[in-house]
Amino acid sequence: MINNSIIKIKIYFFIFIILVVLFIYVLYLYNLQIRNSPEYKSRARNVSLRINTIPAQRGEIFDRNRDTPLVINIDSFAVNIVPGEIEDNSFNSLISNLSRTLELDPEKIREKIPENYHKQYHPVEIKSGVSLTTINIIAENIQDYKGVSWNSKPIRNYLKYGSISHILGYVGNITTEEFQVLYNKGYDINSVLGKSGIEKYYDQILRGKDGIHYKTVDVQGRNIQNVLVDDLLPENGKDLVLTIDRHIQDLAEEALGERMGSAIVLKPSTGEILALVSYPWFNPNIFYDDQRVSAFRKAALDSRHPFLNRAIQSSYEPASTFKVIMTTANLEEELFPVNKTINCEGSAWFGNREFHCHIPEGHGDLVLHEALEQSCNVYFYTLGLKYLGIDIISDYARRFGYGSYTGIDLPGEISGLVPTPEWKERVYNTKWVGGDTVNASIGQGFLNITPIQMADMMAMIVNNGIIYKPHLLKQIRDSVTGELIEEKKPEIIHTSTIHQETFTTIQEYLRGVITDGTPKVVITTKAVDIAGKTGTGEVGLDDSWNAWFVAYGPVDSNPENQVVVVTMVEAVNEWEWWAIKAANIIFQGIFAGETYDEAIDSLRWGWLRNKRKPQ
Amino acid sequence: MKVKKLINIDLAVFFSMIILMIIGVMFIYSSGVTSTGMLISNEYIYQIVWIVSGLIIFFTVMFSDYLIFRKWSFYIYSASIAILILTLFIGKEVHGSKSWFGILGFSIQPSEFAKIATILFLSDYLVKKEKSIKNLSTFFLSMVVAFLPVIFIIAQPDMGTALVYIPIFLVVAFMAGVKKRYLFFLFFSGFQMIFFGMLPVWQRLIFKKDIKFVKILLTNDLFLILVGAIGIIALLSGIGYIFTKKKYFYWIMYSSFLSMVGFIGSLGIRFFLKEYQIMRLIVFINPGIDPRGAGWNTIQSLIAVGSGGLTGKGFLEGTQSHYRFLPEQSTDFIFSIISEEWGFIGSVSVIILFAIILVRGLILVMNSKDNYGYYVGSGIIIMIFFHVIVNIGMAIGIMPITGIPLLFISYGGSSLWTSLISIGLIQNIYLRRFRY
Repeated sequence: MINNSIIKIKIYFFIFIILVVLFIYVLYLYNLQIRNSPEYKSRARNVSLRINTIPAQRGEIFDRNRDTPLVINIDSFAVNIVPGEIEDNSFNSLISNLSRTLELDPEKIREKIPENYHKQYHPVEIKSGVSLTTINIIAENIQDYKGVSWNSKPIRNYLKYGSISHILGYVGNITTEEFQVLYNKGYDINSVLGKSGIEKYYDQILRGKDGIHYKTVDVQGRNIQNVLVDDLLPENGKDLVLTIDRHIQDLAEEALGERMGSAIVLKPSTGEILALVSYPWFNPNIFYDDQRVSAFRKAALDSRHPFLNRAIQSSYEPASTFKVIMTTANLEEELFPVNKTINCEGSAWFGNREFHCHIPEGHGDLVLHEALEQSCNVYFYTLGLKYLGIDIISDYARRFGYGSYTGIDLPGEISGLVPTPEWKERVYNTKWVGGDTVNASIGQGFLNITPIQMADMMAMIVNNGIIYKPHLLKQIRDSVTGELIEEKKPEIIHTSTIHQETFTTIQEYLRGVITDGTPKVVITTKAVDIAGKTGTGEVGLDDSWNAWFVAYGPVDSNPENQVVVVTMVEAVNEWEWWAIKAANIIFQGIFAGETYDEAIDSLRWGWLRNKRKPQ
Repeated sequence: MKVKKLINIDLAVFFSMIILMIIGVMFIYSSGVTSTGMLISNEYIYQIVWIVSGLIIFFTVMFSDYLIFRKWSFYIYSASIAILILTLFIGKEVHGSKSWFGILGFSIQPSEFAKIATILFLSDYLVKKEKSIKNLSTFFLSMVVAFLPVIFIIAQPDMGTALVYIPIFLVVAFMAGVKKRYLFFLFFSGFQMIFFGMLPVWQRLIFKKDIKFVKILLTNDLFLILVGAIGIIALLSGIGYIFTKKKYFYWIMYSSFLSMVGFIGSLGIRFFLKEYQIMRLIVFINPGIDPRGAGWNTIQSLIAVGSGGLTGKGFLEGTQSHYRFLPEQSTDFIFSIISEEWGFIGSVSVIILFAIILVRGLILVMNSKDNYGYYVGSGIIIMIFFHVIVNIGMAIGIMPITGIPLLFISYGGSSLWTSLISIGLIQNIYLRRFRY
């Protein structure tokens, strides 16, 4: 036997080690359970507390009459599967049941729940946009649908569609790019948000605030009862009342018919837009179909660009309508005497180029108001090049709001362009020449404006120098009580220093254009006396013109009672006079209180009746 | 006689053991209760059955002279090795390890019992080799005895249980007087094996940058050169020692040979261990590396323990456990539930009970009438101690997740019986302290 005492020493050493190690463990536990306990306690809560969003009801949208909504939410459901709740041997029968009820390809369902999801307790969405009837079928036979659940996922139903779709826009699921921009503004990765139009511009107001349902879950995401935190209830979105009058919108839509272009009816005294039409348009409801992807793609690839809101997103040469600004400029600046004539011989030479008037034999001697009535190019060529000059011309164009955004409450507005010599040198690296001024004098060349800017131009004349911001939102109202929350106030965007008398004169001149000038044979409405100006712009196509007509009426009234109408028909359409005809119908309809059909009857244009709204 | 003996048993150890087992049943019950208060597991009933039957074995072991076990130790050892081999062929696979052996509808885990068998036979061997205890050959042969079962346990594979054999061997050999430098050699070369075995995985999966040294480990030629160079240093210094008898030559030889073995062994680690096992070792160093994967268990356990606070959330009130955030609640992570529901007071009480068994157990062993008792007793205590520090250590995040049970408390008949046999042997040694 070896020395007993050595072994005893070893055992004491061993005891010492055990006690030291266990003491370290106790210290460690003290650290964990006493010192750092609060941190772990909060982590214990976090890990087991999950949140589900309770979607807020999106606000509805009304026109100014506020009698019937333009957009509503319809009850619809999303059907989910919780794969972990399905027994392995019942997967196949469940999938075949679901594919029958939901009218889905079984393979499509299988794709959504791959093998590695089978033990998970997170719901997987199988189909959205499911009707209550279908949900009822599932609920009544729930024993055949173990592991299937559903949640309300309302879809947006655009009761009225057509040209109004450009105004309302549509909603869709948030994209990753959008989420990156919006993530701290109350959106999450499952948000539905406005993609265009009012739905996008006022998304924050319409969407409301999602509520939160707190639940405690275990490691596999299974629900556990006894929740300690109250739900945060959703705040529903607000209803919007638009400035649009849907009767006028319909009237303008039908007056423009199937012609690419746009029409705007504006209340100049406030900036309220009564109608804003752009053709072609799209039907936002098709995006909610099962074939939504293909429908969207088809619309997006349409060469006529149905998603383009031509009233604010397309710019054109203002053509002869620009003579209104030229005339105003000369009236104000008095650089060429108003009663002095310029002789039009059908064309004129400037430098080494010949510029034509639209009547080859010429207008003869004209004073300013006659030149405007006859829309004589030669007169304005001369006025622009010899008397006003490009600096005054572009200055006046800007005073009327050309070249800058109107600030309309729709996304995607463009600003158009007012050229200057500096601009041309910078962009084209060539000098501004006389020919450029000549072109600018009749609204051709580099000058580009949008139809909404055209409406604002006329609004300034009507308001004697003030432009109110054109807008579509009239009121924000509570979605439940209908109580008024906010009323949109008119907002001035341009105030001109041009003299009052100048506006009075130009108003008279514009009335003269209608009574004695180019469009007098087309403007046949007896319902209202109007004043305005036509414009036809070359677009490089043979005998094709972009046709403008901008007008206001009634002429002898306060701005409060007046409306500005702009019609713009693109060059690809056969009817180059159509802009004026459409405006004639619109004025007739508005002031006689008639629909399109009644208006064309009154105008004895019954032959237009077949041009029904295309589906 | 027997009554007298019964009075003579050490009551402190006995009652600590009983209390730990009762706590075990309570928390096995708790782990079977879901958050809705529904009992979904009958494990606690089985555990009671194991305890009752285990206590019969406990008393049987206690009252049979431990020298009988010594006499039969070679056969017990051989039989357990045979069963381990058999398990590899006809064993049941649970959680990817073939470590279960089914008899009469019960599953037993032979590797648990093999620990006792190994302690019994290793001690016997070392007592017999008392005269040549300082020899290198004794060290090697005793190592063979201790690590032969390990081969079959690693093959199951059950790394956690295999690990227990290392401290058992080191301590029993140390008690028997095997040269300390041999034991150090084993300890440090083993440490080096694990370190260099882990390094490439750590570099590839976590560090994700180039480490030049890892390239050497992974390139066969360079690795051979490295090992060869160290081998030549060992050889040269060995020759130097033989001729000059200078001590420093000996230590240079010792340390370079040690590191050579370490490097070669690390190759074996990389070869035998699965990536997930290496990953666990790495994750234990920093569980934040992989919070959803290998680090999940550690983090969830830490949250359970930490959120327990001073007094705990109350019995059956733990959230981490009842909401199933904790894995393997009735076995590997039972300490986490105790800590969560009974707090610091509960967890320290468990540690104190174990301290009583361990320290008091060693004091009992000190009364042994012969060396065999010393060796067996200290082997058993180190086994229990190792289980305690590794199991509790993994619950509080200072040990890697190895999946070895907390003796007396964790659910499982084999480990419970093993614990009871162990304490039975300790009491046995103590009871027979006076019989010369």
